[in-house]
Amino acid sequence: MFESIEEVREKLAGQEYVCDRRLATVVYLAVKLDKPVLIEGPAGVGKTELAKALAAATGRSLIRLQCYEGLDEAKALYEWEYGKQLLYTQVLREKIGEFIGPTKGLREAAAALRDQEDVFFSENFLVERPILQAITSETPPVLLLDEIDRADEEFEAFLLEFLSDYQVSIPEIGTVKAEHPPVVILTSNRTRELSEALKRRCLHLQIDYPSPEVELEIVRLKAPGVGEVLADELVGTIQSIRSLDLRKSPSIGETLDWARSLVVLGAPSLNKDLIEETLSVIVKYDRDAAKVLAHVRGAAESKDLGQKEPTGEKQNEGMYEMHRSTHKHAH
Amino acid sequence: MDTVINDFVQVLRRHGLRVSPAESLDALHALGQVGLGEHGVARDTLRTTLVKNLEDIETFDRLFDVYFSLRPQQERPRAKLDVHDHDHDHGQPTSMEFGEDAGGEAPDSEEHSHEDKENTDFRKYFDEDRMRPSEDIHGEADKMRLSMFSQELILNRNPGALNQALQRITHQLRLRRARNMFNPGDLVTHGQGQELPLDVSAADLQGLLDHLHDMDVDEALIRQLEEQSEEILRGLPQLIEQMVERQKKLEKKKDDSALMRRSLRKVFEFSPAEQRETEAAIRRMARQIHGAKTRRLKQDRTGHISVPHTLRRNVRYDGIPFDPVLRRHHEKRPRIAMLCDVSLSTRNLSRFWLHMVYQMQNLFSKVRTFVFVAEMAEVTQVFEESSMDRAVEQVFSGRVIDADVNSDFGSAAEQFKNRYLPTINHRTTLVVLGDGRNNGKDPNVAAFEEISQHVRQVIWITPEPRWGWSLGSCDMPLYEPLCDRVEVVRTVDQLAGVAEDLVRTRA
Repeated sequence: MFESIEEVREKLAGQEYVCDRRLATVVYLAVKLDKPVLIEGPAGVGKTELAKALAAATGRSLIRLQCYEGLDEAKALYEWEYGKQLLYTQVLREKIGEFIGPTKGLREAAAALRDQEDVFFSENFLVERPILQAITSETPPVLLLDEIDRADEEFEAFLLEFLSDYQVSIPEIGTVKAEHPPVVILTSNRTRELSEALKRRCLHLQIDYPSPEVELEIVRLKAPGVGEVLADELVGTIQSIRSLDLRKSPSIGETLDWARSLVVLGAPSLNKDLIEETLSVIVKYDRDAAKVLAHVRGAAESKDLGQKEPTGEKQNEGMYEMHRSTHKHAH
Repeated sequence: MDTVINDFVQVLRRHGLRVSPAESLDALHALGQVGLGEHGVARDTLRTTLVKNLEDIETFDRLFDVYFSLRPQQERPRAKLDVHDHDHDHGQPTSMEFGEDAGGEAPDSEEHSHEDKENTDFRKYFDEDRMRPSEDIHGEADKMRLSMFSQELILNRNPGALNQALQRITHQLRLRRARNMFNPGDLVTHGQGQELPLDVSAADLQGLLDHLHDMDVDEALIRQLEEQSEEILRGLPQLIEQMVERQKKLEKKKDDSALMRRSLRKVFEFSPAEQRETEAAIRRMARQIHGAKTRRLKQDRTGHISVPHTLRRNVRYDGIPFDPVLRRHHEKRPRIAMLCDVSLSTRNLSRFWLHMVYQMQNLFSKVRTFVFVAEMAEVTQVFEESSMDRAVEQVFSGRVIDADVNSDFGSAAEQFKNRYLPTINHRTTLVVLGDGRNNGKDPNVAAFEEISQHVRQVIWITPEPRWGWSLGSCDMPLYEPLCDRVEVVRTVDQLAGVAEDLVRTRA
């Protein structure tokens, strides 16, 4: 599928997914070693996107299973199709006379029936849920188990067999094993700690908020209407906001939303007022908003003092510079 | 290669990372896939296969740097040399230290400035002409055919040889130092000493090459290494020096300064991040407390009819649903009663506890909160109705109970038993927050025992480490056998630790 780490990077970039070498290495290894990848990180840093991009880049189908509390094997692995089974019973009742007609005696009839017993629990009656689908699929798909931390701990236990051997044991039928293992991607927002057993079976990848360079690239790719100057300022501001101690830091998704809304507003560059007006796009808590406002004002004012005649654009460029430097310090 | 990785895994384990054998096998396979060409890739590969907890990533990065970077950074050697020039005067004491440390004695803990000096000193023993060429090699990194990383792997493969070389050098230097007792700073100017390390290493390098043949490295690699042996030889003194440093760093215990820094004082002003952390920790803990809320559908006598289950059960009646299966969400609500000591001795901590209690009440529906010093009072209402800060203020204002007397667990337990015990039942988890200091009053173990038999489980959270229990009038040793768990919690971190622990011990 991939021949080198560079190729992973290029192909993902072809799907407008910007990634660093670390991420590409992990994806490459996952494909080469047939190992699931567990991606952890805050909300909105492109964990789910990676699965989508990977599926598109390799031309495979994407099977997605959104996890939630109370998700059980009937919804994730397989379920019996009871209606169909019932219907079958009806048909069978009519056929049964015909079927055991030629047999002599009860014993023989029972034996004849016994031979047909597994008719009820065969693949015919099986409704395939995402995981089983991924296993039985002719062309190996990309399977995304989204937000695995939301599912119960019992559910993790179901997954263990699948994750280590790409197989599922169905008591009535036996073991179904994937001929071509799918690429499995699990994501977690870390609302709870996953079990050691699960982690041990996966490659682990931590995605964090991107560096300014990468984020700038993402903005350019995904929000093409944004001008160079604006994109620079935007990313600088977002990066500096992330260094504040917020309840919910703005994610890449929010950066893009912000970029797009600024395009709609037709803003050529950022300024204090504009940030205040559009703040609700990137900050989702009142207390956070107050902090960000104070920060933005502080940055603007300190710049005013430093420059005698601040023109709008220069001031902002200065602000951007400052943000970048604070960001570096944070690292 | 496998020995090196195994050795590295051992180092990781020594520093508290949990790496399973399966994972180190994965790491080997993975390295086989990506090759050893690039330092960064090899690092990412090992990290993704060996490290599964976010908290461990930092440790891993640090150890990886130490373990796999025998090569100096390009800028460093020169800077060090400069230092040496200016610092001519620290003669004897540091040289002594060098000799002792390199001779394999355990390095002590106050080390940073120390190491630097040592570097300077070590460099004194090699003259600059010797050093320049080897530095040039590092300067033209791209000309080297064999990657840094594979060299490091190979050198790591046989630490014995290097150690040996090292010891011999040290030995020689010691002799020399003895001879030059009155003027140890002048060692550099003598001719013989400089040649020494290289002679020793030449023999050992051959040993290394021999070892290579035993390893599952392909022939081409070995040949490359042999071709480069000259270069390696010249670089070896530096390698050895770094080996010493590395060994020291690897042995050094994790410092707990980060933990210490987040001391108690900081806990009172919860930053949003910490608030999130506490919340998460409490959530995790609550999952482990019996009777926590679940969302899974369970079969029950009441609830909705589950069509698939009903059909399945009634296949034997020709699919006529004689026997419907009902399922509903079981909401086993956690019943928690929290007893919080707000006496003077724990005043600072009880603030932290009350925050914790407040959050628990927010998260769970059936939490009852009591505060006590000598008398016991229920404050569930207060916590529900007012904001966190106001509720905490009210508790300390003295309007609820007299908060300024000495704490008396005995009478508090007695009161709780008489007044509130009938209102809680065997499904309740009792959480006691207190230090168990009775100030010499009757511990009233009987009353506490009755309480603990009545409830489902008792978790006692105390700020006092175990060794402190025997001091003063602490009755923890008496209460401990009656509790299902006793945890020492002073900070958010530790609270998270307790939650973590509960998760582990349950399985």
